[in-house]
Parts: sequence; C-alpha cells; structure tokens
Amino acid sequence: MTGQSHDTVKDAFHRGARDGSAALAKWLGRPVTLSVDRLETLPIDSAAAVLGSGDEAVCSCAMGISGAVGGLLLLAAEDGAALSLADTLLDHPVGTATEWGELERSALIETANIVGCAYLNALCAILAPENAVGIIPSPPVFLRDFPAAVMEAVLMQQPLLGDTVLLANSEFRIFGTLFRCSLVFVPDAAGLQPHAHQSDRSEPLS
Amino acid sequence: MTTPAKPSTGEPIAIGQIGVARGEGILRTFVGSCVAMVLYSKRHRATGMAHVMLPAAEGRTAPPGKYADTAVAETLRRLVTLVGDDDLACTAKLIGGATMFTFQSGTPIGDQNVLALETILGNLGIRIVGRVCGGSHGRRVAVDVATGTVTVETTEHGSETL
Repeated sequence: MTGQSHDTVKDAFHRGARDGSAALAKWLGRPVTLSVDRLETLPIDSAAAVLGSGDEAVCSCAMGISGAVGGLLLLAAEDGAALSLADTLLDHPVGTATEWGELERSALIETANIVGCAYLNALCAILAPENAVGIIPSPPVFLRDFPAAVMEAVLMQQPLLGDTVLLANSEFRIFGTLFRCSLVFVPDAAGLQPHAHQSDRSEPLS
Repeated sequence: MTTPAKPSTGEPIAIGQIGVARGEGILRTFVGSCVAMVLYSKRHRATGMAHVMLPAAEGRTAPPGKYADTAVAETLRRLVTLVGDDDLACTAKLIGGATMFTFQSGTPIGDQNVLALETILGNLGIRIVGRVCGGSHGRRVAVDVATGTVTVETTEHGSETL
C-alpha cells in the first residue's frame, strides 16, 4: 500500500471509530469510546493467525458486504473478553455470564451490527464517495470457534479475489472499562484495489 | 511448511502448507472450510498432511498445498522422498470442508474442496478410509504419525477418532 493509500484507509477507520462510538453510545445510553490503535495489511497466507493460533475459542461476529465496497468484516475477541463485553452491554456485572446464551449472543450481534455499519459507511464514504449503490451489509453472523478456523472461514470468502487482509486492532471503552477486540476487514479486489495493493505495511493509528 | 525430517509436534500446519513425518510424532492443524487431507503409509509408518484451501490450482503454482490437485501430488512426492520408496500403498482421510458463513450463493467452497479431493484420490486409486466433513464448525485435527490415527476435536460439537 502506498503511503497515500494507507492514509486514506486510516482516515476511513478513524471516521468509522468516531461514528461507531457515537452510535454505540446512543444505543447504550452510556459513554463509549471506540478506538483503532493499529492498522495492518497482511498477506492472506499469514493472516490466518491474526486471532491467535491457540486452542482457546474466540467469539466473533461477521458481516458480509456487497455494493460499492465488497468483502467481509469480522469483530472478534477472546471468549472471556467477549463475555465481559456482553455483560456490560446487558448492564450486568462483569462475570455474570459464563457461557453464550441467546441474550449474550444477541447483545454481541447488535453491537457488531452498529459498529460494523459505522465502519462500513465510513469506508464507503471515503473509498467510494461517488458510488450511488453504497454498501449492502448482511446481518451479522455469530461464530464461536477455534481462532484459526474462524480466520480461515473469513479468508475463504475472498480467496480468489484479494491477497491481503486489513486488520485493525480495536478497543472499546464503555464507562471507562476496556475491552480489546480485533476488527478484520477482508476486501474484495474491486472495493479496495486502488488502496490495498502490494502491501505489508503495519502502522499505529494516531 | 517445511518437510520435517523429524516428527513435528510444533506449530499447526497453516493454510496451503504441507507437513510430512515418519516414525512417531503428531501432525496437527485447524480447519474450517479448508480440508485437512491425511495420507498414511502403514508400510513405512509415514504420514503426510496438506491444508487444502481451494479445489483447483488453475495454473497457479505456489504454494502447492493450497489447491487440491497440486496438494495431493506434492504430498505424495514429499512422502516418497521421505521414505525413499515410491510404493507408498497409502490410504487417505479427509477432515473439514465446513460451511461456517453463508454469505455467498452457489456450492460452498468446503464442499467443492472435499469433492475435488475425493475425485483426485479416487483417480489415483488411493482409498479414503475415514472422513469427517461438512457441518458449520471448525475442527482441530491431530494425526499420530506412526499409526495414522486422526483425532478430530471441536469447541462445541464433541470429538471423534478416525
């Protein structure tokens, strides 16, 4: 990725974080700060390990994207962190949920929907501002599985179109409590071709 | 993936990579829609495993483990090199090919991978003696190099042995 392209994508993620924070705060009725502290573009062959290569399950929500920008967006976190986030979203004391029931899944899916759409709108506005189609996200899908299997499934959505994956390491702060998660965007060739090409650059977002 | 001269118990075999080993040890990987193809030569107590991502190379050459057609040929080649005998008399096991997301129409890529491997192995006369394929979840795969026994585990769907 060229420096200019990287900056463009970085701007989009900044805008997505800002808009996502506002949308999530409105939904929860509490102060929320969503930030992206690192943006990486990885070769697809080494991207499978970005969620970890261990045996512990990760929790994730994925959204398919079509329209002006195509690909897949994944919000993922370690199981314990995701359950804590679900507790907070449901206004329960952290540690209340010990497994993924319907309520916890719904809370995470709704969060992914709100945050994901904020990022996607920002990406679309910056990367394809003239496109009248906009973006068409699918409903988020909840998936709890081995991290390598989750990432593999994500990569398999675009295996013939793109060779890179954009990874943004993200943080949620809700009422001051920190939750770390990964935001993975796997673009198709058409959506980010001018922006996400020939890249293995990693750079903190500031 | 390198071709370890000694049995590997280290890092899982990554997407598109191939591992072979002889004697004893464990080869392992994680698969979702990809397929872990295990070739086992009882005669030589040797095992190869490829982490196959797509059904056909269609002219692409690297990495050979990524595509069903090139993965079978390359795994066999590495096993032959490892044991020094081109008469492997091997059998096969297939694990994976799940459909974890359904954002795209058409035949799921996992099903295509399994079908491609079944066809290629069948054409080579390699018998498939075990399979755990399909579903909508990932699998952790561990192969005992000496016996060819495959242990398949999941996060929420139990485990089984092939």
